[in-house]
Amino acid sequence: MSLMNPSAPALKEKTTKAEIKRQSVLLIIAALYVVYGIIFYYLPLVGWLMAFQTYTLKGGIFGSEWVGLKWFKFLFTDDTFVRIIRNTLAMGVINLVATTVTAIGFAILLSEVKNIWGKKLVQTISYLPHFLSWIVVTSIVHEAFSTEGMINELLVNLHILKTPISFFSHTQYFWPIVAISNVWKETGWNAIIYLATITSIDPSLYEAAAMDGAGRWQKIKHITFPGLRSTIIILLIMNIGNVINAGFEVQYLLGNGLLQSVSQTIDIYVLKYGVGKMNYSLGTAAGVFKTFVSMTLIFLFNFIAKKTGDERLF
Amino acid sequence: MKSKKIFALTMACMMGIGAFAGCAKKKDSITNFKMFACMPGKEINDGNRIQEEIAKLTGVRVKETWLTGQTATEAVGSIVASGDLPDFIDGGDGSDALYEAGVLVAWDDYLAKPEYANLKEMYSDKEWEMFRKADGKIYWANVFQNTYGESKATGHNDEAFWIQVRVLEWAGYPKIETLDEYFDLLERYYNENKENADGTKIIPYTALCDDWRYFCIENAPEFLDGYPNDGSVIVNLTDYDKPTIVDYNTTPTAKRYFAKLNEVYNKGLMDPNFAIQTYDEYMAKLSTGAVLGMCDQWWDFAFTVNDQFKASGFDELGYNYIPLGLTIDKGMVNHWHTYGDTLNAASGCAVTTSCKDPDKAFTFLNRLLDQDMLNLRFWGQEGTDYLVDENGLFYRTQEMRDNWADATYQANNVCAYSYMPQYGGTSRDGKNAMTPAEQTSEFFATLATPLVKCFEAYGYTTYGDFLGSPVEEMGFWFPMYSYSNNMSTNTKGGVAWIKMGECKHEYLPKVVMASDFESAWADYMEAYAACKPEDFLAEMQTELDRRVEMGKSA
Amino acid sequence: MNGKNEKKKSMMSGWDWAFVICNTTFLVLFCVVTLYPILNTLAVSFNDGLDAVKGGIHLIPRKFSLRAYDAVIHKQGLQQGAIVTVARTVIGTLLALVANALLAFVVSRRRFLFRSSLSFFWVVTMYASGGMIPGLILMKNLHLTNTFLVYIIPGLVSAFNVLVLRTYMESLPDSYEESAQLDGAGYMRIFVSIISPLCKPVYATVALFVAVGHWNSWFDAMLYNRNRTELTTLQYELQKYLNSVMQTQGNTSSSGKTSSSSQVTPVTVRAAASIVTMLPIIMLYPFLQRYFVTGLTIGGVKE
Repeated sequence: MSLMNPSAPALKEKTTKAEIKRQSVLLIIAALYVVYGIIFYYLPLVGWLMAFQTYTLKGGIFGSEWVGLKWFKFLFTDDTFVRIIRNTLAMGVINLVATTVTAIGFAILLSEVKNIWGKKLVQTISYLPHFLSWIVVTSIVHEAFSTEGMINELLVNLHILKTPISFFSHTQYFWPIVAISNVWKETGWNAIIYLATITSIDPSLYEAAAMDGAGRWQKIKHITFPGLRSTIIILLIMNIGNVINAGFEVQYLLGNGLLQSVSQTIDIYVLKYGVGKMNYSLGTAAGVFKTFVSMTLIFLFNFIAKKTGDERLF
Repeated sequence: MKSKKIFALTMACMMGIGAFAGCAKKKDSITNFKMFACMPGKEINDGNRIQEEIAKLTGVRVKETWLTGQTATEAVGSIVASGDLPDFIDGGDGSDALYEAGVLVAWDDYLAKPEYANLKEMYSDKEWEMFRKADGKIYWANVFQNTYGESKATGHNDEAFWIQVRVLEWAGYPKIETLDEYFDLLERYYNENKENADGTKIIPYTALCDDWRYFCIENAPEFLDGYPNDGSVIVNLTDYDKPTIVDYNTTPTAKRYFAKLNEVYNKGLMDPNFAIQTYDEYMAKLSTGAVLGMCDQWWDFAFTVNDQFKASGFDELGYNYIPLGLTIDKGMVNHWHTYGDTLNAASGCAVTTSCKDPDKAFTFLNRLLDQDMLNLRFWGQEGTDYLVDENGLFYRTQEMRDNWADATYQANNVCAYSYMPQYGGTSRDGKNAMTPAEQTSEFFATLATPLVKCFEAYGYTTYGDFLGSPVEEMGFWFPMYSYSNNMSTNTKGGVAWIKMGECKHEYLPKVVMASDFESAWADYMEAYAACKPEDFLAEMQTELDRRVEMGKSA
Repeated sequence: MNGKNEKKKSMMSGWDWAFVICNTTFLVLFCVVTLYPILNTLAVSFNDGLDAVKGGIHLIPRKFSLRAYDAVIHKQGLQQGAIVTVARTVIGTLLALVANALLAFVVSRRRFLFRSSLSFFWVVTMYASGGMIPGLILMKNLHLTNTFLVYIIPGLVSAFNVLVLRTYMESLPDSYEESAQLDGAGYMRIFVSIISPLCKPVYATVALFVAVGHWNSWFDAMLYNRNRTELTTLQYELQKYLNSVMQTQGNTSSSGKTSSSSQVTPVTVRAAASIVTMLPIIMLYPFLQRYFVTGLTIGGVKE
């Protein structure tokens, strides 16, 4: 976006020309990527036209009836949809915070382990749940949180609870359970990126710090954490754009009628009202809306990052 | 390091090439067609014995593929957009979209020709009218619930209040006709029996509320009022020429039914986790034999549960379920069991415009209805899959039955072409049933002792007898769910229909679990009214009127 | 090495000891918690199908049976699916790694003129999607449907991976590039012989991401190669099988066609399928793991 720096125009032009020559390889490569991106990512966005039509299979994208903003109006005058945006954003944010914090914490703790074998073993185990499908994971979660499940048993035995709680009958427990499920499944996997980054931190920094008598906590605080900072920020900004995609399967599989006021997300809504009900346009309209929200969030947080002098996306 | 990578890459490329090379189709004189059905199903293996036999006799082999990981709408949308249609298709809930996209071949010309007499014979002229679309043509034929000759049905494959046969035996085989009698019996049995022989705690009653399977709690009121399963509404026949749509969710019967469940729940007779159980958990509960009764569709539980009972020996303990045809008050006629066929004209087997040789496709469909084909598809090959006794009756040995229940065996040896034209009922030989499941001898051969005792005690010979529904043809409009299932959110009625469903999902369990039923019911009714059910009902009425008109003109 | 360790040990304070003990305890607990679902899945997969429906299996199969594996492994098309999956995983991962790394290299050059706008161009692709049908029409018009290439080309560049790579590359000191440029090295040489060797940990990470993505994918097989059964993938075959086992059809109820096959039930097949797909990809891990567990001595820039 902001490619120019405010130096003298004449001088700049000169450098630019020289630079173009110098960077010709980079520019050619970049051009190829732009062509690729336009074909495979931007061209299909023609499909967004469906959001302004009542799309029929017969008419296709160019022959269906145009209805203007009808489907957007439909979405925003529907009380359910407004509640669903709330659910989506809430779960998106809770999951983002929970999974980021645990992944970073886990990566740092693991990096503190000196025994290579132990470290490798722990890491291998930690990322295994990522490979289980949600249907397998949610059935275990559902059992664990049932009234006869381990969680209740534990809480009752520890005298935190007097009688078991029926976690899936009360709306207030749903978001935390979804977050816990996400953390359980993805912590090890998400930590991989941070572990890789930690390895790039110059070990001599730790040695120097040790010489200065820095303790473990200080080393984490002054070396490991700053080393991770740019990765954390980049991932955070990218994932903030995704809070609107809080998921579908977990909520669908863990939810039930009593919980639907807190469990339904935009994706579930789209399935129910759109693709499940012969209405392709409604789903597209919701998709366009999601992109709009994502991009707004990205711009906002990228701007903040820029202002605070941090790493940024673009 | 590098050489390793190159090696790996070469290997991978070779494997990739091998992947393509390994598949050069063997050439033979058989025409290979493709079929896609918009429902999940079992893919059979290439070289399947029956499939090859059918191919030998008809010159046609059909590769069936099924819905995977998509909704029917998505699948239809993507198949039409790709332009890569299979030769045959059953669009399921997406059938209308296929018609609108203009990718189907009309049946009319074929139905008019004598070479396709078998196809024509599938339905009466009046029934064929049901399939006619707005452009005046017929594009598909539903292949299910189509009885040839006399019905041989022995099961009750639909919804009912089910009760374990041991409870009936314990009470001396009483006649249970109303909801109150049913729960009263469960309560009396439970008061004296809290645990099964193996120590499992008995749950007198449960109701599944999971996702689309919440019909287990939701639609009983329509049956309790004596109406058949129209699925989404009651069709009131007070004026037979001008039937009207009635919402079964708001009837006095609905309120009495939920009040009863509420009472039962508060007495501790109902599974405390009924509202939050998943389908898997529900099946687990039923499988242990702990649940005395529930309201459900037969196919929703019976396959797994009956096998489970047999495997654990529970069938001899009387854990199997008997269907009951309950009504809200005594002396009412019920329609839990419908005799005759339920014609769902909203979907069916179709031939697409991508099919290069539609004549051959229709000839094949026609041929599939010949008796030798039907026997191959449902009974298999004589000598291998079934035997014939001196009276000409087909039967199976236990080994044959076991084989046909084995998934791997099925994939290699069974080819029913289950979404192509077929019949139930009596074989053209006049003796046998079209399918083994309906063969009376096969039916009794597989029945456990407590069930046999129960059948004898009541003097019944089929499960349908337990329901006591009258034997009568359903009206021309039946079933209305063939319309409501295909409603789109493009219309107000379609939107209302989804909202009503969401509202019931949330409030029905609340109503049942409420400590103050009256106020919970009032809350529910208020939330329900906000969904604008009138939009939905109006649309259903329009469809009903259309069907009635069609019925008159046909 | 040993001497160093001893020196460290002697330097450890009481707090350090407390930390090590807490940390170890925590990680062990964490392992127990994350290992449970895997062991549970294993136990279920080795259990008799019908018996597993009853639930309540934790770490040990209650009624041992290999039928679920037998059924899964003998699914026709599974072998073909496995071959295609391996091919697409290997080819797709290598090509994607190169493609992503090259783009990341370009956008991480501080002097590159369109650094910010090119990044933005790719960031958009993460959040904007035209949907299933337009994608399908595009693939059809590019003649990619019914080909193996549809597994490789469309997903070649992913903005997420590019940004992860870019972030890492940007964290490398500029001095390497500068000194190489003084030696007259062009950008491509800097990419291949200076930046890439330093990026091993992040390359391993991205390779893992891409490989797992390829390994698990099946939707593209269904959507684009529906009519080319020889281009099926492992996961697609398993999905189809799982679907068929779960089938309980209202529509077919009127007859016994859907005669049950109770030796295999969704519960056990799901578990067995999970294990079958998990094992090979897990075996890949140790090879990549050394890059991001052991760490590189970056200070000394070797190789």
